[in-house]
Amino acid sequence: KGRRNQKGKNRGCVLTEVHLNVTDLDLGYETKEELIFRYCSGSCDAAETTYDKILKNLTRKKKLVTDKVRQACCRPTAFDDDLSFLDDNLVYHILKKHSAKRCGCV
Amino acid sequence: EPVLSKGNDCLDAAKACNLNDTCKRFRSAYITPCTSSTSNEICNKRKCHKALRLFFDKVPPKYSYGMLFCSCRDVACTERRRQTIVPVCSYEDREKPNCLNLQVTCKKRYVCRSRLADFFTNCQPEPRSVSSCLKENYAHCLLAYSGLIGTVMTPNYIDSNSLSVAPWCDCSNSGNNIEECMKFLNFFQDNICLKNAIQAFGNGTDVNVW
Repeated sequence: KGRRNQKGKNRGCVLTEVHLNVTDLDLGYETKEELIFRYCSGSCDAAETTYDKILKNLTRKKKLVTDKVRQACCRPTAFDDDLSFLDDNLVYHILKKHSAKRCGCV
Repeated sequence: EPVLSKGNDCLDAAKACNLNDTCKRFRSAYITPCTSSTSNEICNKRKCHKALRLFFDKVPPKYSYGMLFCSCRDVACTERRRQTIVPVCSYEDREKPNCLNLQVTCKKRYVCRSRLADFFTNCQPEPRSVSSCLKENYAHCLLAYSGLIGTVMTPNYIDSNSLSVAPWCDCSNSGNNIEECMKFLNFFQDNICLKNAIQAFGNGTDVNVW
């Protein structure tokens, strides 16, 4: 299912990676270790399901009580493996679900 | 002595590990059990040992040895190197057993027995040889040494200013076996073959072997 973004309509939603220092994450850790952070970005404009199509049509016709109906978002559908590192005080830390592995319009 | 002129090799090795998917995965896979305290213990030592053995079995030596045998010039580096195996869980214990008793425990278990035998074979010192090793093969000595990590004979660096290593044991209460015990302990603590092998890896002077 995660590969849909590559084959289907929402080609815009892709996994992108950036090489960072752990301190760049601003999670409060003091360490000199680094990581590869992977995130999902791109548009999910092309409606994916009949549900999305209906929402779009109804929004256009102003038939919905509230306009705050969310379209599909480009989000992680699976997360990368855990990341561990040693901080400056020689204490180990583990980050879970911190980085994307696959993306999809959900 | 220049402290800041050279980077920290152990830190660089940790960075390299986390940028490699395999090393990153197996590193977290042992850090997790080795740092999770249970109801009445500091950690589950058995699970920590198992995950450490897996780390050294599955991760390419370039990364695993990089962290274990990195060369250091300051305490920040040697302390990081000492923490590689999470000694508070995998190494230290409430009491230090006698080394010969620990050897008996090791010999009762297949993995420990065979890896200890490999270590004694492959890290046998020979002062007259060029490498100081009887087998003249640093890679085999380091493989045998790292193979002990995750057994009851798990060795680690004992201080921050030398490459001296030892398992968690000593030779007190040895009685008549004091000489035999010291011989066993010194094979770890004062082994020129092992020291040269670690140094050669750290300096990258034996690159063709890896």
